[in-house]
Amino acid sequence: MNQLGQQTTNAGGGGGFIPAPRQDMEYICADCGAKNEIKSREPIRCRECGHRIMYKKRTKRMVQFEAR
Amino acid sequence: MPDGSHKSKRQPTFNTIQREESFKNPPKTGSTYPILNEFVTPHIESFNALFDDSGLPKGDGDGRGLLSLGLKDIGERVVFDGSGELGTESGQHGWGNRLSIWIEEVSIAPPRVPDRDTWSTERKIFPTEARERLTSYRGRMQAKVCWSINGNIHPDQFVMRDCGLVPIMVRSVRCNIRSLPSAELVRRHEEPEEFGGYFIINGNERLIRYLILPRRNHVTSLLRPSFANRGPSYTQYAVQIRCVRPDQSSVTNTLHYLSNGSAMLRFSWRKQEYVIPIMLILKALIGASDKEIFDSVMMQDYENTFLTDRVELLLRSFKMYSLYTGDQCLEYLGDKFRVVLGMPEDWTNQALGAWLIQKMVLVHLKSARDKFRMLVFMLRKLYSVVSSSCCADNPDSPQHQEVLLPGYLYGMIIKERLEEALSQVRNQIATDVRKEEPPVDFLDKRYIMKVINKVNWDIGSRMSNFLATGNLVSPSGLDLQQASGFTIVAEKLNWMRYISHFRCIHRGAFFAELKTTTVRKLLPEAWGFLCPVHTPDGAPCGLLNHLSRTCRIITAPLSVAEIPALLAAHGMTQAFSSSIDGRKNLCVQLDGRVIGWARQSVAHQLATNLRIWKTEGRHKVPLDLEIGFVPESKGGQYPGLFLFSTRARMMRPVKFIANGKDDQVGSFEQVYMNIAIKPDEVEIGVSTHVEHAPTNFLSILANLTPFSDFNQSPRNIYQCQMGKQTMGTPSTALQHRTDNKLYRLQTGQTPVVRPHLHNVYAMDSFPNGTNAIVAVISYTGYDMEDAMILNKSAHERGFGYGTVYKSQIIDLKEMRGATKSSASPTLHFGLGHDVRTAEGNGQHTCCQFLDKDGLPFIGTKLDSGDPIAAYIDETTGRTRFVKYKGDEQGIVHEIRMLGMVFALIRVAADGIQGGDTGDTELQKLHITFRITRSPVIGDKFSSRHGQKGVCSQKWPTVDMPFSESGMQPDVIINPHAFPSRMTIGMLVESMAGKAGAMHGLAQDATPFQFSEEDRAIDYFGEQLLAAGYNYYGNEPMYSGITGQEFAADIYIGVVYYQRLRHMVLDKFQVRTTGPVDPVTRQPVKGRKRAGGIRFGEMERDALIAHGTSFLLQDRLMNCSDYSTTWVCRTCGSLISLGYDDISLGESSTGTIKATGPGGEYCRVCRAVAEEDDERARQALTTGQNPDRSPLPGVMVAIPSSNVLRSSSKGGDLDVVAVPYVFRYLCAELAAMGIAVSLEVR
Repeated sequence: MNQLGQQTTNAGGGGGFIPAPRQDMEYICADCGAKNEIKSREPIRCRECGHRIMYKKRTKRMVQFEAR
Repeated sequence: MPDGSHKSKRQPTFNTIQREESFKNPPKTGSTYPILNEFVTPHIESFNALFDDSGLPKGDGDGRGLLSLGLKDIGERVVFDGSGELGTESGQHGWGNRLSIWIEEVSIAPPRVPDRDTWSTERKIFPTEARERLTSYRGRMQAKVCWSINGNIHPDQFVMRDCGLVPIMVRSVRCNIRSLPSAELVRRHEEPEEFGGYFIINGNERLIRYLILPRRNHVTSLLRPSFANRGPSYTQYAVQIRCVRPDQSSVTNTLHYLSNGSAMLRFSWRKQEYVIPIMLILKALIGASDKEIFDSVMMQDYENTFLTDRVELLLRSFKMYSLYTGDQCLEYLGDKFRVVLGMPEDWTNQALGAWLIQKMVLVHLKSARDKFRMLVFMLRKLYSVVSSSCCADNPDSPQHQEVLLPGYLYGMIIKERLEEALSQVRNQIATDVRKEEPPVDFLDKRYIMKVINKVNWDIGSRMSNFLATGNLVSPSGLDLQQASGFTIVAEKLNWMRYISHFRCIHRGAFFAELKTTTVRKLLPEAWGFLCPVHTPDGAPCGLLNHLSRTCRIITAPLSVAEIPALLAAHGMTQAFSSSIDGRKNLCVQLDGRVIGWARQSVAHQLATNLRIWKTEGRHKVPLDLEIGFVPESKGGQYPGLFLFSTRARMMRPVKFIANGKDDQVGSFEQVYMNIAIKPDEVEIGVSTHVEHAPTNFLSILANLTPFSDFNQSPRNIYQCQMGKQTMGTPSTALQHRTDNKLYRLQTGQTPVVRPHLHNVYAMDSFPNGTNAIVAVISYTGYDMEDAMILNKSAHERGFGYGTVYKSQIIDLKEMRGATKSSASPTLHFGLGHDVRTAEGNGQHTCCQFLDKDGLPFIGTKLDSGDPIAAYIDETTGRTRFVKYKGDEQGIVHEIRMLGMVFALIRVAADGIQGGDTGDTELQKLHITFRITRSPVIGDKFSSRHGQKGVCSQKWPTVDMPFSESGMQPDVIINPHAFPSRMTIGMLVESMAGKAGAMHGLAQDATPFQFSEEDRAIDYFGEQLLAAGYNYYGNEPMYSGITGQEFAADIYIGVVYYQRLRHMVLDKFQVRTTGPVDPVTRQPVKGRKRAGGIRFGEMERDALIAHGTSFLLQDRLMNCSDYSTTWVCRTCGSLISLGYDDISLGESSTGTIKATGPGGEYCRVCRAVAEEDDERARQALTTGQNPDRSPLPGVMVAIPSSNVLRSSSKGGDLDVVAVPYVFRYLCAELAAMGIAVSLEVR
């Protein structure tokens, strides 16, 4: 597997493609505003209303700009 | 107010509380500003007219939609299986079974989610979803295709054919937010005042622009010298009529006058023009005898020798055809046109001829007799023009114009596509019959269904393409003069621009190329229909107009069936009467149909009666009937009484003085009416009507200019343009918008001084500027040439602060390495294992910007080159990044995550299936960036009077002048801005604003409210006086620097200022070194590529004239493509440089010539020298002196100052400085065999 040699951070791993860790993140439905946990590679679909658009939530990290 | 009692009585003029309430609680029924729904009605109702259930009044018809009417007009297509034997009953030509196919009905459904989608609780699709997902707002179209064999209609012989997804106009009858109240609209993420009228294509709002067309069903006489070039004996005279079928498709018939006195009828069929002698048509229509034709054209005017001569010639010249009866003529026509028309083979020539006439000649009329009468009328009008007894009509005048409405055009295209698909089915079967592999069996239902499904019926994608590009792909051209430019994007730059799109009307792309400017002229006929102020200056000036505020476009059919009988009962002679004197009688026409004749006095009386009846609603005369009475005149317009009831006409409301009722006036009749502008201008006995308001002739935007009647007219034109470029409030549903770029003014205010219509058109919901304290003073020297000085503290308080919202779409499908198949994508958003996310030393830098899911944190500030998204390539396992491309810092404002938008998938059995479910994993991002744009030096501002200026300094408040009360201006402008531009409206606004601010009043700035007796200056001067100011608005002021009082009083007041979207940050272009063109090594051009600005020939001339040679050298050489090169002093060549490898010692050929320090030598000269020896030897042997090598073709002298280095050791090469392009030129010339020689001095 050619990508094994390139992956420096990944120790071991076995054969084949290793999918990235499934991050579950919370997103907001554009229609009903419900919070949806959507893992990577899951369809974009609201569990409440079936809407097909999601917004990313604002980060909880501190965002600080210099006021100039 | 000193006492409280007064205060309570006072009416609020700014309506702030009311507006806040309507924003907080949008109305549950209806909308706050009903007029906004009114002014798009022509868009929406013309679209609604396509459907049977449109809800429009039925008029005379059965209320069927345009699509149904179009299907009726398409008719059926016929094909034979060729199984018949010659001479048998099934066809004497061996045609065999007759299969006819037709479309029974088509239906377009509102946009809905596909049935395969089982999880959505809301089955409807709303426009906001189309906008946010960057898809189109479309509904499914289906056609019921039926067939019959040998005329036996069987109920089973039909198939429902899917025609794809057709774009639906927002708020039309097929839209899911049709007639929703504001509260519901807000819930659907729309504007509370959403009025629709546009389509959503790939997330963009696009609309079909109004287009001016010749007035339908009315004969106009033309005088065009180009007609004479059509062929021998053609002249410049013609009459033309644009005939419109009930389904709104049209055919233009032109009757040309030939110099031999006869006339030819011209029409076009599938973009091909055909000309037929008029006699042929006249005879073919009703089988008229020569006498009948003579009588009906002459109309007892036997003394008119001009006419008798022409008609005699007309009749005599037709004798050569030897066609005597109507049937013979039809036969003849059918024979000639059989191949072209492509109609069923079993039709006789006669039937074909009749069909041709029905399809192509005066298509607005059904009966042949009506067509005959109309053709005779055209002929009479033509002869009248030729004999100069009447003048030619002006096709550029709105009198002879109407409007192409979006829905009608849409319907025409759909009709044509359906017709095309049906013909394809027919042709496919015909091909199969011919091939016989396998032999075609018409009775096999499966075969026919297979053929129908095989043919491309995808009308939806064609309509989407039409709307997305504005290009019309049509085999017939739809009787239009242009094939592109039908649609525009409805830009939401600000509210003014947005609403203007729905009122703009274009003359046609064809006229834009015309060298003559007559079409652009502002004509008096346009009064009240097209705004004289609101047109752009520059290329589209006069071609792109805007409808006046009160101008309506008729979209509903009227019921006028009883009008002919009504008129006949009141003295009109019926059309069939045989003894009408053409000299004394005027023709009475209703929608291009001769309904009778009347004497002038009777016709005038009829017109007057009709007007009274229609305003009072008597005798069922509809109010929107247009009564064009053209009186007899010497050499004027051809007289007659012309009634129009059709759609697409421009009409406007005025007051009928006789009974004080509201009347609707059309552009045809207005020319012959006397409409007073103000009630006090009414002339007794002359004026019949009076305007409802003197400002009605202005467009919405022109109406919004305060005190525009005080300004010089071009300034109002400029304001109409600048109002549309203002940074304002584009939308109140900003978070649901996906526009590429949006400009937003952070702190918009309602203007203190505004016309009444400001409130009516919801301008306060979308504020466009700020009230500024403006002093007119020449203060710092930084206010020259329309520059303006901004108070620095005003700026710091947020004056004119704006934001730009830019969006970027990241579609993984378009990335490198994406799979073409939509089944399982190989690219996914996210961070792979090769990116170290753990916090600490080795953390990847992208983690500053990107979240775990590979998307940026909302609120992150990005610089150019920062990552905005990460995705993993499944095949390589590597993580790749998308970078932020933008010159300025942007803040991630919003991220919209979208699934894949499939293209249409073809499913074998029943054709196309929409695959757009959106139910896939994340493949597409829509990221909105917020870019802050605080005003900086160089940003453009303007008042509402065409007075634009650029901010030149932000002047510290302490140094600003101040008045006695301590007021300091926000903006300083130079007094020189006024004398030449004469924008008195701005001066009045300044006074009015100051008084309004002091008294807390919203000042009414509607134009034409003041007069010489009742002056605006007095009105506002009194108010200023009451507020303790100078009567004229000027005050003593003190210098902020010295504290001394100025010698003059300074004019200071409140003016509403707009910030324009043109900002230096988007425009500045500066470069020292940078990218160069690879061929010429000169700097590239273009701001985007960090290029330079061309220092052109004229600039060069200026430097030469100034004698600034050093500067010249610097610009053209040193800062451009400076280069050094070796030049041979002997032959002057630049391109003959050769090198001796001096490390190897002397060359083996012997030292013929010396070389430069690096071993450089001239290859040409060395070769010549070698040859010289050879030649000398030859000369010795033969005694002949052969020719020397030819002299170079081009000699260029190069001054010694350019010589940088002469080789010291006797080599004959010098180093000179030349522009690199010169070296390139020499090489290019050498390639053509031209030698360039430099003469080094």
